Amino acid sequence: MDEISYAPASGLLALSWALIALPALGAAVLLLAGRRADKWGHWLGVATIGAAFALAVGMFASLAGLDDKSAHLDLFTIISVGDLQIEASLLFDPLSAIFCMLITGVGLLIHVYAVGYMAHDPGRRKFFAYFNLFAAAMLVLVLGGNYFMTFVGWEGVGLASYLLIAFWQLKPAAATAGKKAFLTNRVADVGFLLAMFTMLGALGSLDFAAVFNGAATLSTGASLAIGLLLLAAACGKSGQFPFQTWLPDAMEGPTPVSALIHAATMVTAGVYLIARSHVIFSLNADVQTAVVVVGALTLLFGAIVGCAKDDIKRVLAWSTVSQIGYMFLAVGLGGAAFALGIIHLLAHGFFKAGLFLGSGSVMHAMNDQTDIRRFGGLWRVMPLTYATFAAGWLAIIGLFPFSGFWTKDPIIATAFAREGWQGWVVGGAALLGAALTAFYMTRLFVLTFHGPKRWTEDVHPHESPAIMTGPLVLLGLGSLAAGGLMASPVTTWLTPVFGEHHEAHGHLSHMQVTVATTIVVVLGAALAWLLFRGGTDEVPRAASWPVRAARADLGGEAVNRGVFERPSRLVAGVSVAVDARGVDGIVNGLSAAIGGTSRRLLTMQTGFVRSYALSILSGAVIVVAALMVVVVQ
Amino acid sequence: MIELAQAASTGEAVFFWILAPIALGGAVGLILARSAVHAALMLAITMMCLAVFYIMQAAPFLGFVQIMVYTGAIMMLFLFVLMLFGRDSKDSMFETLRGQRFFAICLGIGLAALLSAGLARAVSGMTMAPEAPWATGAQSNVEAIAEALFSTYLFPFEVVSGVLTVAAVGALMFAHVAKKGGHRGQKEHSRERFAPGVYPGPRPGPGVFATSDSTATPALRPDGSIEPASLSEYVPPRQLTAAETAPKHTEGREG
Amino acid sequence: MNEAQGLQIDWAGLAPMIIVFAAAFGGLLVEATVPRARRLPVQVALAVAALAAAFIAVVLNSGKNAAAFAIEGTGLGSVVLDGPGLFLQGTLAILAIVAVLLLAERRTTRGGDFVAEAAVVADSAADRAQQREDGATEIFPLTLFAVGGMMMFVTAGDLLTMFVALEMLSLPLYLLCGLAKRRRLISQEAALKYFLLGAFASAFYVYGMAMLYGFAGTVDLAGINRAGVSSGQPRMFLYLGVAMIAVALLFKAAAVPFHMWTPDVYTGAPTPVTALMAACVKVAAFGGLLRVFNVGLASSAWDWHLILTIIAVATMIGGAIFAVTQRNIKRLLAYSSIANAGYLLVGVIALGDAVGQTMFYLAAYGFTVIAAFAVVSLVRDGDEEATHLARWAGLGKKSPATAVVFTVLMLALAGLPFTSGFTAKFSLFAAALQADELGLVIVGVVSSAILAFPYLKVVVLLWLNEPAPDAPTVNLPSPMAGTVVAAGVAATILLGVAPGPLLDIVDQASVFLNT
Repeated sequence: MDEISYAPASGLLALSWALIALPALGAAVLLLAGRRADKWGHWLGVATIGAAFALAVGMFASLAGLDDKSAHLDLFTIISVGDLQIEASLLFDPLSAIFCMLITGVGLLIHVYAVGYMAHDPGRRKFFAYFNLFAAAMLVLVLGGNYFMTFVGWEGVGLASYLLIAFWQLKPAAATAGKKAFLTNRVADVGFLLAMFTMLGALGSLDFAAVFNGAATLSTGASLAIGLLLLAAACGKSGQFPFQTWLPDAMEGPTPVSALIHAATMVTAGVYLIARSHVIFSLNADVQTAVVVVGALTLLFGAIVGCAKDDIKRVLAWSTVSQIGYMFLAVGLGGAAFALGIIHLLAHGFFKAGLFLGSGSVMHAMNDQTDIRRFGGLWRVMPLTYATFAAGWLAIIGLFPFSGFWTKDPIIATAFAREGWQGWVVGGAALLGAALTAFYMTRLFVLTFHGPKRWTEDVHPHESPAIMTGPLVLLGLGSLAAGGLMASPVTTWLTPVFGEHHEAHGHLSHMQVTVATTIVVVLGAALAWLLFRGGTDEVPRAASWPVRAARADLGGEAVNRGVFERPSRLVAGVSVAVDARGVDGIVNGLSAAIGGTSRRLLTMQTGFVRSYALSILSGAVIVVAALMVVVVQ
Repeated sequence: MIELAQAASTGEAVFFWILAPIALGGAVGLILARSAVHAALMLAITMMCLAVFYIMQAAPFLGFVQIMVYTGAIMMLFLFVLMLFGRDSKDSMFETLRGQRFFAICLGIGLAALLSAGLARAVSGMTMAPEAPWATGAQSNVEAIAEALFSTYLFPFEVVSGVLTVAAVGALMFAHVAKKGGHRGQKEHSRERFAPGVYPGPRPGPGVFATSDSTATPALRPDGSIEPASLSEYVPPRQLTAAETAPKHTEGREG
Repeated sequence: MNEAQGLQIDWAGLAPMIIVFAAAFGGLLVEATVPRARRLPVQVALAVAALAAAFIAVVLNSGKNAAAFAIEGTGLGSVVLDGPGLFLQGTLAILAIVAVLLLAERRTTRGGDFVAEAAVVADSAADRAQQREDGATEIFPLTLFAVGGMMMFVTAGDLLTMFVALEMLSLPLYLLCGLAKRRRLISQEAALKYFLLGAFASAFYVYGMAMLYGFAGTVDLAGINRAGVSSGQPRMFLYLGVAMIAVALLFKAAAVPFHMWTPDVYTGAPTPVTALMAACVKVAAFGGLLRVFNVGLASSAWDWHLILTIIAVATMIGGAIFAVTQRNIKRLLAYSSIANAGYLLVGVIALGDAVGQTMFYLAAYGFTVIAAFAVVSLVRDGDEEATHLARWAGLGKKSPATAVVFTVLMLALAGLPFTSGFTAKFSLFAAALQADELGLVIVGVVSSAILAFPYLKVVVLLWLNEPAPDAPTVNLPSPMAGTVVAAGVAATILLGVAPGPLLDIVDQASVFLNT
C-alpha cells in the first residue's frame, strides 16, 4: 500500500471544527439557559443541527472538487510529553464526509420529528440539549484525525446515549436498560483504550497516518492484539455478538433516540471504526475472520430473535442488530466489501430511521402501546405512516429495485466469494439471514397495518401531525431510492480511502446470488403474509381483548400454524432463551457480581478500629512474607 | 549470633541474657495485664532494661535520657493520670467481633515468627561495625549526638518543636473548657444568691406526703400541688406508677 | 561546636517551609493576643499570605538541585531540594491555599463546620448552646503545621527527617478530624481511629528504619540505594526494612489492605478537613513514596516489584468495587480516593519513567477532589450536610449551576476526555506502558471502567431524577468556598483541554537528586 498522507485543510474545509462546534454550542446554551429556554429551546436544537447539515453539504461539495481528497486540520496540542504528541486534529476525507452527511442529515430530520414527538414532555428542552450533545460527540468521533479524537467522541456518544436511554428515569426498565448499556459500552471503552495503548507502545503515535503507515512494521502479535481490541470496542458499541443485549433494551428511551442513536448513527460507530482502521484489519487474516464470524453470527442471531418478539420497537432493534451484522460481515470480508458495508450502513440509516419514526408515529396513535398483537388494520387510519413504513419494509427486505437490494445483495455475493468452505458457510448464513429478515419484517408490517383490528378499547388511532409525517415522508423516499442511487457513486467516492479493488468471484456468480436472494426473500415474506394476514391469537386473553376478531377466520389458520409457525417459534424461543440466560446472564451477572462482591467485602468494614488494625497487620504479614519469599528464592 | 556473642565481652553477654527476658516479659505483660497500673509498671520495667542495653552499647547519653524522660517523666505522668481516673477502672476484655482475637493472635505470632526467622538468618551473617569514635575515646558520645543534631538533623530537630507544640495545643483544645464570662468570686456568688426573686435557702426536699425520698419526687404544697422549687433542673420529675406506690409487703405482717 | 562550623545552610531553599512553620507559630500567638471576634480574618489572612509567600519562594527556588545542608560542599541528606520535591511543594502550597479558604467558609452554615470548644461533651446542653458560635480558629495554625510537615515530607532525603515530617503532618490532622461541629461523636471517633491506626503504622515505619539502618549503616536514602548495590550486610535486613517502611507509607497513601481507615475518617471529619486530606495528604504521601522508592530502593526494585504490584492491583480493583455500592457521597469519594491511590501506585512502580506523570496526576486529582468536597459542603439539609446520595436526586432542577459544576467534577473523576481526569490517567498509563507494566495498565483501565459507574450514577441522579419535596438546599457560598469551587473546576477543565504547559513542567522536574 502507498504511503498515506493527508493534505492540510483550506477554504471551507478549514471550518470542519464548526461542524462540531454548532451542535455543541446548542447543547451548552440549552443546558445553561435553564427554564428560560423552554419556549424556544427545541427550535434552537433544530437550527444548530440544520446549520451543521448545510455546512456538511458545503464541505462535501468542496471536497469533491479537490484532487487530493482529504483535509487535515490541527487545532491545538492536547498532550505533549517527550516524543508523544497528541494533537486535537480533525480529518475530513470521503469516509468522514459520508458519515457527516448521514449524521447531520438524518439527525436534522429526527430533530424535526422530535419537536412533535416530545411536544408534551416537560423535559423537552433537556432532551434537545442531550440530542445536540450527542450529535456533537458523534461528529467528533467521525471527524477525529487520530485515534485519540475518535476516542473522545466515542466516550461522548456513550455518555449522551446513557443519558438519553435513561431519560425516562422513573420507568425502572429505563434505568436498568441505561445501566446495561453503560456496562457494555464500558467493555467497548476498555477495548479501545487498550488498543490505543498498544499502538502507543508499538508505534509511538495515535495519528491515523502514522499508525497506518507503520502498520506494516507491526509484529503479528501486535497487529492481532490491536485488531482484536478494536473489534471488541466495535462490538460493544455496535451491539454485536456477544454484546448485543443492551441494544434492544435501549429501546426504553424515547423513540427519536432509538431512531437516531440506536439505529442510524451511534451503533454504526463500530463499523466506522473498523472501516477507518481497514489497514490494520487487512493485515491480519485471523482478525478478519473474527470480524466475519462476529458479523455472520450476529446477523443470524438478531434475525431469529426478531421473529419471536411482539414489541414493535424491539423487533426493529433486533433487526438493527442483525443489519449491523451484515455491515460487520462486509467490512470483515475486506477489499471491495469495505465500501459495500458503508453503503449498506447509509441505506440502513435511512430506512431504519424511517421505520423507527414510523413506529413512533404508530405508538403516538396507540397511546404508547408497543405490542403488535394489539395493532392491526391501521393502514386505513394512518395512510401516510403506512406508506412510509411500507417503503422502509420493502427497503429492508431487499426486493428489487428498493434500497436494500442494491446494498445487501452485493454483501451476500461477496460472502459467497470467500475461499473454501468458509464461503459456503458465511454466504449461506447471509442468505438465510435475508430470508429471516423478510419473514419477521413482513410479520411486523402485516400485524401492525393489516388484518383485523385488535386494539384495546381505549385507543382512537389518528394520523400524526405534519411535523412528524414530514420527516417520515422524506425518509421514506430516501429508503426507496437511496440504495440504487448511491451504490455505485459511493464506491467511487470511497476509492481514495479504501483503494481500488476488483469485484471478487467465488462459488456463485453475482447473478445467481441475486436470483437466490430474491427467491428466499419472496418466500419468507409470502410465508409471513400467509401466516399473519388474519392476525394472531398468541395473546393472553385479557378482559380488554376485543372479541371483534372472528374466531372462524383464525380457525382456518390452525394447519398453517401447526406446520410452520410452531417450529419457527420453537427455534426462536431457543434463541431468546440463549440470549436471556446466556449472554444477558453474563451482563446481568457481571453487574450483580460486582455489586455483590462489593457488599460482601464491605462487611469487613466493621467500624471497629481493632479490626482495621488487624487488616493492617495482615497486610504487613503478607508484605513481609512476600519479600522473604524473594530471598528464599 | 555466635560470633556476635563472642565479640561482646562476657559481662555484656551476662547482662544481656539476664535483662533480655525481663524486657520481653515486661512487654508481654503490658499487653496481658488487666489493670492499667500494672500495665504501666510493666512498661516501665521494659524501658529500664532498654536503658541498660543502650548504656551497654556505648550510648550512655541515650541510656540516661531514656531513664530520665521515659521512665522518670512520662511513665510517672501516666501513673499520675491513672490514679486520677481511679485505679479500679478496667477495660472490658469481652471480644464482640467474631474471629478477631483468633486472627489477631495468629497474625501476631505469624509476624513475630517471620521477623525472628528473618533476623536469625540475617544476624548470623552480620559483620561488626568498626569501633565508633566515642568508644575509643576520640570523641564523647554527647559530642557525637550534638554534632548530628546540629548539622545533619538540624532541620528535623527544629521541626520536632512544632510537633510538641501541636501536641500541647491539641491537648488544650480537647481538654480545656474556657470559662464563660469573667471571674466570679465569693462576692458575686452571694450577690447572685440574695438577688430579688431568688430563694436563698436550700431547696425544699420531698414533701411530707411523698411516697419516696428520691430527688426525682417533687415536694408537695399543703394543697397537694407541686412545689416548683423542689424540681431539679437536671433530674427529670417522675410520677410513680400505681404499682410502685403500692405497699411492698415489707412490713412483716404477712410474713 | 568546631565541627559544625563548616555547615552551609541554603536558607533560600528552606524558605518555603520556614515561612509556613513561622506563620503557624505566629497563628498560635494570634490566638493568644487578638480578641476572639477578630481572629478569623487575621488567621485566614496570615495563612493565605504565608502559603502564597511559600509558593513564591518555591518558584524562586525552581531549577535548584542540591541538598539544603552541606558540610564543606558535601550535601547532607536531610532536606533535598530537587525537581520533584520543589514541584510537589508548590502543588501543596497552592492546594493548601484552596483548602484554607474552604476551612474559612462561614456562610453556608452559621459559624462554619468547626466546633467552638472541642472539650465540651458532645450533645450536652452546653454543646447545643455552642452550636451557633463561631468555630475555633486554632484550625488555621494546625493546618499550617500539617502543610509544613507535608512540604518537609516530600523533600526529606533521609528516613529520620521523613519520620519527623510524617509525625508533623499527621498530628495536626488527627486533631482537625475531631473538630466537627455536627455529628461530633462520629467526628471524634474518626479522629481516634485515625490516631490509633496512624500510631500503629508509625511503629512499622520506625522498625523498618532500624532494619534499613542495620543494612546500610545510614538512614540516608541515597546511601541506602548505594548499599543496595554494594553492602556486605545480609540482604534480609533490606527486605524487612523495605516491607516495614512500605507498610507505613502505604497506610498513609490508603492502599488496600491498609485502607480501612479512609472511609470512616473521610466521613467523620469535617468536610473541609476531608478535602485537605484527600488533596494534600495524597500529594505528600505519594511524594514520599516516589522518593523512597526512586531514590532509596531503586537498586532493589526487583525484590519489591512483585508485592507492590499485588498491592496496586488489589487497591485499584478493591477501591473501584467498594465504591460501586456506596450510598453516601463522602464515602463514595473516599473509596474513589483509594482506587486513585492504586493508579498512583502504578506510577510509583514504574519508577523513573513515570515520576512526572504521577506528579501531574496528583496535581490534577487534588484540584478536582477539593472542589468536589467543597460542593458536598454546600448541599445541606438544614444545618447538616446532605451526604446521602438519595438526597441529591434532582439537584439539577433546583440548582442547575451547582449540578453542572458537580457533573463536571464527576466526569473528571470518571476520566472522560477533555477533563483533567482523562489526561492524567492517560499520560500516567502511557508512561507505565513505557516501563513495560502492561498488566498493571490493563487492570487500571478495567478498574477505572468499573469506577466510572458510580460517578455516572451520581450524574444521572442529579439530572434525571425528580427532586424530593423536602430536597436539601444549596447554600450560596461566600467568596471563600466560591473561590474553591471555581479554582477546582477551572483547573479540572484547563488541565483537561490544555495540559501541555503543566506536563512540560513536570517533565523537566521529574528527576530526583541522586538517582
